[in-house]
Amino acid sequence: MSKSPSSLPIEIKISTVVAISAILHSSDPIAIDAALKQMTGGVSDFFEDEFAVIDVGAIAAGATYIDWRALVDLLKKYRLNAVAVRGATADMIDAIKARGLALDDGAGGDRAREDVAAASAAVTIAPAQASAPAPAPQPVQAPAPHTVALPAMIVDTPVRAGQRVYARGCDLIITAAVNNGAEIIADGSIHVYAPMHGRALAGASGNADSRIFGLSLQPELVSIAGVYRTFDDGFPAELARQPAQIRLVGDRIDISSLTSHR
Amino acid sequence: MARIIVVTSGKGGVGKTTSSASFSTGLALRGHKTAVLDFDVGLRNLDLIMGCERRVVYDLVNVVNGEATLNQALIKDKHCDNLFILPASQTRDKDALSEDGIERVLNELVKMDFEFIICDSPAGIEHGALMALTFADEALIVTNPEVSSVRDSDRILGIIQAKSRRAQTGGEPVKEHLLITRYSPKRVENDEMLSYQDVQEILRIPLIGIIPESESVLHASNQGNPAIHFKGTDVAEAYEDVVARFLGEERPLRFTNYEKPGLLQRLFGTK
Repeated sequence: MSKSPSSLPIEIKISTVVAISAILHSSDPIAIDAALKQMTGGVSDFFEDEFAVIDVGAIAAGATYIDWRALVDLLKKYRLNAVAVRGATADMIDAIKARGLALDDGAGGDRAREDVAAASAAVTIAPAQASAPAPAPQPVQAPAPHTVALPAMIVDTPVRAGQRVYARGCDLIITAAVNNGAEIIADGSIHVYAPMHGRALAGASGNADSRIFGLSLQPELVSIAGVYRTFDDGFPAELARQPAQIRLVGDRIDISSLTSHR
Repeated sequence: MARIIVVTSGKGGVGKTTSSASFSTGLALRGHKTAVLDFDVGLRNLDLIMGCERRVVYDLVNVVNGEATLNQALIKDKHCDNLFILPASQTRDKDALSEDGIERVLNELVKMDFEFIICDSPAGIEHGALMALTFADEALIVTNPEVSSVRDSDRILGIIQAKSRRAQTGGEPVKEHLLITRYSPKRVENDEMLSYQDVQEILRIPLIGIIPESESVLHASNQGNPAIHFKGTDVAEAYEDVVARFLGEERPLRFTNYEKPGLLQRLFGTK
């Protein structure tokens, strides 16, 4: 089930982090500085050393010169750590790489999530606490105190064999059936309001408090924060096809009924 | 407005070509100008089932490659004046189909005033199947009441939702219809087969018809006549129901209950 900590000096695992999209509509550092100042209202920890992806897609076509060093330093001043650039044109690539930034071609299948993150960071918010920006990079477990969670990703169509739905940085709510051979993944918890087969992976970026809730569970595999359980001999008959939840207790996947109330 | 309908299933041997042949014939018999295209390049079967294999000169690949015109390649059905068959090539492979080429052929068929264009998909989820479903407005998902067929149908539904032109351009989604074939109420009764309710429970798309398992399908294929022509058989009637429902008529589901052979059936017989 769960793997024991390895004794190797390095372990490689896939992990998912949440980053803010900083969508540039101007390449002028002074204008950006002014906008950020207004957005953060002078609160020094408005951004909490979050990762940022600089999206130049909107201005790249104009072939504007961009001073990457100034830009990165500027973001740093507001405690945003630029890690990558999205929407860059071919002639920008060398300059971007020279600054140690990665290129993100935005080929992720999670457009909905990114749009939300991008929107909340791009909106010019009135000073002070109007609304917090996109999520902090989820440092495993401890929920960041100053952030409002991203709204859950909601799916209303059946998730079919071979399809994969990933709710990045948030909960996943599915109102239609999840079929065998489908894979549903969330960094938060998973809720399914229809028969659930297939594979369900909650807490994909390591949140062990994530759970899986379903009205009628019969999954092939469930996983929470990387601890998984398969059901080779079938899902426990006394819990199948009825409301139940799945959570991580210690390093064990626990399945309990939601109807037999304590 | 022409409607392009893909007949697909993921799994092989479930009755796609049989259904394409009978469905297109049924539409034509009701007076609609219909074309049926065999996308199973390399394994062509449709012309056999339609009984026109000896009249094949040019095929879909020739038309896609511009080596023949549509008028040269379309074969008029031997029974219906307004049914035309575009056979697949026997000698090429499925990669010979290009998306641009298919689009051009379909557009040309639309210009020729075809009301219904039926695309008989090959099995699998590779290039040929993708080409058959890319331009579909509607899809007939042919499924046998058996777990692997249902799983493959589920998979192909997901692909239609992701890869069809309508999905890619954010248009209205492809309209999906579930067609259950080779249904045996007796085996359902004995728990040897999934019931149509079970299948629908998993796939969750509207049911357009149930075709009972029958030897008449084999007879029909061997003779090169679509099963819908065999008047009085349950299969022909079931396909007629499918066509009627597709055209918006209400028809009650038939051939879903197993009745132990009783006196009446012994007197009148069902075969």
